[in-house]
Amino acid sequence: MTWDSFLWFAVPAMICWLSAGILIYLTSVKISYLLMLTGILIFTVFIAGLWIGQGRPPLRTLGETRLWYSFFLTTVGFITCKHWKYKWLLSYSAMIAIIFTCINIFKPEIHSKNLMPALQSYWFVPHVTVYILSYALFAAATIASFIQLSKLGKGNSNAQLYRLIDNLVYTGFGFLMLGMLIGCIWAKEAWGHYWSWDPKETWAFITAAAYLIYIHKRRQEKDFLITLWILPFAFLLLLITWIGVNYLPSAQGSVHVY
Amino acid sequence: MNQRSGRFWQYPWCYKESVAVVSGIIVVGFILQITTMAFDFSLLKYPVNLILGFLVLLFLFIFSFWRNRDFYKWFSGISFSVTLITALLLLALIMGLTPQTDSHLPSNASLHSILGFDRMVSSWPLVLIYFLTILSLGALIVRRIIAFQIKDYTFYLIHIGLWLILFASGLGAADRERYLMRVYEGEVEWRGLTDKNEIKELPVAIELNDFYMEVYPPSLAIIDRNTGIIQPENKPEFFAIDAQRPEGKLAGWTILFEKYIHQAVRNSDSSYHEVHMPGSSPAAKITAINSITAAEYSGWVCSGNVAQLYMTLNLDTNYCIAMMRPEPKRFVSDIHVYRKDKEVEHALLEVNKPYRAGAWIIYQHSYDEVAGNLSNYSEMELVYDPWLPFVYTGIFLLAAGALCLIWAGNKRKEARI
Ligand code: HEM
Repeated sequence: MTWDSFLWFAVPAMICWLSAGILIYLTSVKISYLLMLTGILIFTVFIAGLWIGQGRPPLRTLGETRLWYSFFLTTVGFITCKHWKYKWLLSYSAMIAIIFTCINIFKPEIHSKNLMPALQSYWFVPHVTVYILSYALFAAATIASFIQLSKLGKGNSNAQLYRLIDNLVYTGFGFLMLGMLIGCIWAKEAWGHYWSWDPKETWAFITAAAYLIYIHKRRQEKDFLITLWILPFAFLLLLITWIGVNYLPSAQGSVHVY
Repeated sequence: MNQRSGRFWQYPWCYKESVAVVSGIIVVGFILQITTMAFDFSLLKYPVNLILGFLVLLFLFIFSFWRNRDFYKWFSGISFSVTLITALLLLALIMGLTPQTDSHLPSNASLHSILGFDRMVSSWPLVLIYFLTILSLGALIVRRIIAFQIKDYTFYLIHIGLWLILFASGLGAADRERYLMRVYEGEVEWRGLTDKNEIKELPVAIELNDFYMEVYPPSLAIIDRNTGIIQPENKPEFFAIDAQRPEGKLAGWTILFEKYIHQAVRNSDSSYHEVHMPGSSPAAKITAINSITAAEYSGWVCSGNVAQLYMTLNLDTNYCIAMMRPEPKRFVSDIHVYRKDKEVEHALLEVNKPYRAGAWIIYQHSYDEVAGNLSNYSEMELVYDPWLPFVYTGIFLLAAGALCLIWAGNKRKEARI
């Protein structure tokens, strides 16, 4: 199989994911799970076919990495949604997976852009995928923290909402840690050291520290206002890590700027 | 459970005392920084780090007998840990906002440099807070292990894993050595170059049997024949050669591929044929049709290398089509590794595929980029890190803890608000 037959798989898979992401709010959750899985299965067949057809694991071009993003996002998003009953997470991962698939369809000239040797690593795709998921969970936690803050302002914070926020932060932090640890192992294999305080790494540390402060401060169950405000600030730091680092004066020569 | 301390320094201690202690330590750190200019990691070289590590464990053991005292509870408690993590965050923030240098000495006379802000990693405040975190986290783990509960497995995985990472990477930093070694084909080398450009004889010798590289099919571009600038001048366009797309557009020209040879050598009549040898270069026979005038040119283009000339296809007196230098797909060093009292080992080194020889790890680093596949040497990086297994154990535990966290979330159901 080659990229020529991509459309025959991509379109049905996207239809499955799209309807799964919408139907989960409208009809039974079961149907939407089934659609999600069907989409994943179709994608799996294409990846396997491409692997056999090209005689090598499809990990060498940007387009090939995007295949894996779509695959892992929907798979892990599906499992996490099933476990935690976060419907929005299923819609979110379906949407991002569809975006990645669309880029492959509409921008074939960049989909064949080759990866430099350092990026040709089995760790590359999991590294990026778990970060995408952790960002989504933290974003949701931030929104929830604002809702709780406004409730707190009226003097009636909601226990249920606290549980949701904490769970979002815990799962988000779990994914964040996985992303960092995978990054460490990859860095060790590609650049010789697992942690070298590269600007992106420094900022990842800063972000993780901010969420750690929330996790621990929260367990004291006092100073609720300060504790909740940590989340928006932490998310701000996360955005700087994700988007802003490349523009900082300290980021000249970072390995993360390709 | 009222944790709020009444008066300052009266037990139970809480944030006021934590902040006072941590700021005190940071001030001490800055004083040390100004007087000694840097924390010299080489002081921690083996066996000092081993002794220090042992002392930390001894301290944690003796300290554990006081575990029911208020001081111990504070030292291993949440207020202090939150304050420590905040201090680490602030120090890292300085590091993340200001450019960092590798040198250990102040780069200039500014206050910022004297305080060590431009080389945070080796600054006293960071080292002291890091060390204090190891002690605090260690005391916490000891307290919780003595009161062991199997249902707290996530807590143990995370905190023990992180402690191992902090402990082993901190103490091991001084023992880590890295060298660059350039080996010429057919020769044996055992001298490495440190990052200060000093030559050192290493206990590992490497013989380079062969170096070769594979490249991606290159791109085409239209360039100005006089200046060599890629067109259009302000927004250069490239056309990536791809066997599955025999036709494409490039800066107002339609390009048709007739033939692409990945390993080509030029014939006497300026055409190319396929030869598998180190001096070959990618070449393609193309036709270019101008989208406006319909002018048509065809011929061979070749990116060339040190062994053969490049070839361009002239479009008119001003412009021509050229094949860019191909980008490397993979490069491989075929080596033998010699170590004292060990059998000779054979390895194929690649980027992302280092070779482990005991506490040494050998990496493919670089090669003669002008010569490419014809490079007659390969540069390798040798890293010595005897503490690595501990760090990896920590990474493994922490990753397991992260999975538990994802799966279980916040387990405390009775959380109050
Ligand atoms: C990867 C980083 C970390 C994560 C994900 C994490 C997570 C957690 C979680 C989930 C708990 C509550 C679990 C329980 O009590 O059973 C906890 C408790 C705690 N953690 Fe951490 N932690 C991390 C790092 C640290 C560090 C660096 C410190 C200290 C400097 C620390 C100090 C504490 C303390 C003092 C408690 C309260 C436990 C007690 O008092 O018994 N943690 N942590």
